[in-house]
Amino acid sequence: MADDARKKEILEKLKNGVIQYDEDACKEGAQEAVDGGLDANEAIFDGLVAGMEEVGRLFEAQEYFVPEILMCADALYAGLDILKPHCQQMDLGLKGSVVIGTVEGDVHDIGKNLVKMMFDVAGFTVYDLGRDVPLDQFVEEQLRTDSDLVCLSAMMTTSMIGMPKIIEKIKAKNPNCMIMIGGAPTSKELADKWGADGYAEDASNALKEAIKMVSFLRKLREEKAAKK
Amino acid sequence: MNSRERVLNLFKGEPVDRVPCFSGMGNVTEEGINKLGYRFAGIHLDAKMMADTAASTYKLFGFECGVVPVDLCVEAEAMGCVINVYPLAEGILYPTIKEKLIHNESEMGVKVPADLATRGRVPLLKEAIRLLKADIGNEVAIGSYVLGPFTLAGQIMELNDLLKLSFKKADKVAQLLDVMADAVIIVAKEYESAGVDYLTVREMGATSDVLSPRVFKNLILPPLQKIMKEIGIHSVLHICGKTNDIVPFMMEAGPTAISVEQKNDVAETRKKLGSDALIFGNYDPYNVLVAGTPEVVRETIRKCIDDGVSAVWPGCDIWPTVPGENIKAMMDEVRKHGGKK
Repeated sequence: MADDARKKEILEKLKNGVIQYDEDACKEGAQEAVDGGLDANEAIFDGLVAGMEEVGRLFEAQEYFVPEILMCADALYAGLDILKPHCQQMDLGLKGSVVIGTVEGDVHDIGKNLVKMMFDVAGFTVYDLGRDVPLDQFVEEQLRTDSDLVCLSAMMTTSMIGMPKIIEKIKAKNPNCMIMIGGAPTSKELADKWGADGYAEDASNALKEAIKMVSFLRKLREEKAAKK
Repeated sequence: MNSRERVLNLFKGEPVDRVPCFSGMGNVTEEGINKLGYRFAGIHLDAKMMADTAASTYKLFGFECGVVPVDLCVEAEAMGCVINVYPLAEGILYPTIKEKLIHNESEMGVKVPADLATRGRVPLLKEAIRLLKADIGNEVAIGSYVLGPFTLAGQIMELNDLLKLSFKKADKVAQLLDVMADAVIIVAKEYESAGVDYLTVREMGATSDVLSPRVFKNLILPPLQKIMKEIGIHSVLHICGKTNDIVPFMMEAGPTAISVEQKNDVAETRKKLGSDALIFGNYDPYNVLVAGTPEVVRETIRKCIDDGVSAVWPGCDIWPTVPGENIKAMMDEVRKHGGKK
């Protein structure tokens, strides 16, 4: 795409579409990106993800709450669905796959879905086990898919107690697999104690952690592009 | 002054010798369940087992109340949701909703079933309350809890949809919450007639971690006020997570007391609401009471009292694997430190 002004306009449309939870604007922007020959990865990262980063900031500033984030996520997916088929696989030295789910006894999946979204954005293959997932199913799915990451979510104190059992089993069979735990009752101390590699205490933090990770991927991408 | 008098006096605004240490939420312990020879999955479906287990926390540790139910699914089940009690689970899994009542926006016009008071486990709960009262009702206050309208709505329909609609179509959600309030009132009155001394309304879905204080005021406060007005006995409004910005609205809802968790800065809340407000809280029932050492428990309890809680009370259900020595340390610290006001 030769016209930089046009490119900027499309990226702004995608970004603002996410921030203003405007699904139609995201769809339009994504279609314009495809039609105009804009690199799909660039449209995702510099448009949609840039918007989500701002949403994360607005959440932290308590201008946005969970309902707004959910609507922003819908807008992001509206654009992503159009852009995804046009994406080039990024070479990050990772297989880029993750097993994710909410543990048995818990039917809350909002935080889990937000994290999943950022993995989708980053081009990961996501094996979403859903919610109220029996503990052994995480272990089986990790072994079956040999995923780089397993993300366990629990909203209730009453359900997070299953987490250490899963972590132990996975680490015993596959010590290189990274494990991230999340949900209101989790803490850094618990993550350390249970041998998890990362944690996020709520949907916003999960979003922040996932944004951090995806922003890091974005930086890698930029560095790679700069070298070319 | 025994525990019952202490708790009831507190609710009535009459003098107490020290802050009480009790809860309006689940507080059964594995130790209690094991001593009785029961299984966790069994106590939700049997009035006697439920009542025996609920009484055991007082009997074993002197915890100053008896509370049933143990799970959070009674109202949703009575409304028509299907629940899962995980009958085969080895460890402790609390019942969850397996099947929702509302599957999409077009189904939001639900009505309260005319026979709600006799559906699901409502009669079983009444029986459990009677048994519990007969067992320890002269020694401690007997409590029960119902869900708040928003939290109940989040069980009856997809929470994801409810949250988005509370923003996009607030009128529709307000209507649903009004129906939820009617359902909650019916269940609350049944518990009242069975003889509970106080009722806690648990509206954890409306925490400021999720909803803005503005949405809370516009959407959640009216049905909460409706419920509180209909409860004829002492009431407690519990919301977990961040609550510092909404404690004035929680008071406006009209409960006898409010309950907040460890994320609330109680010293600030006390300043904001004045010396007469009944503020219950706010220790972390898992990271402190279950995972902490007795010394950490004592420190935390002292801080709660120094910050100005009216009763030492957990931020959520007490997780059943709680070590007995930690509950004993908590009770001991309250006895030592709780009368110094």
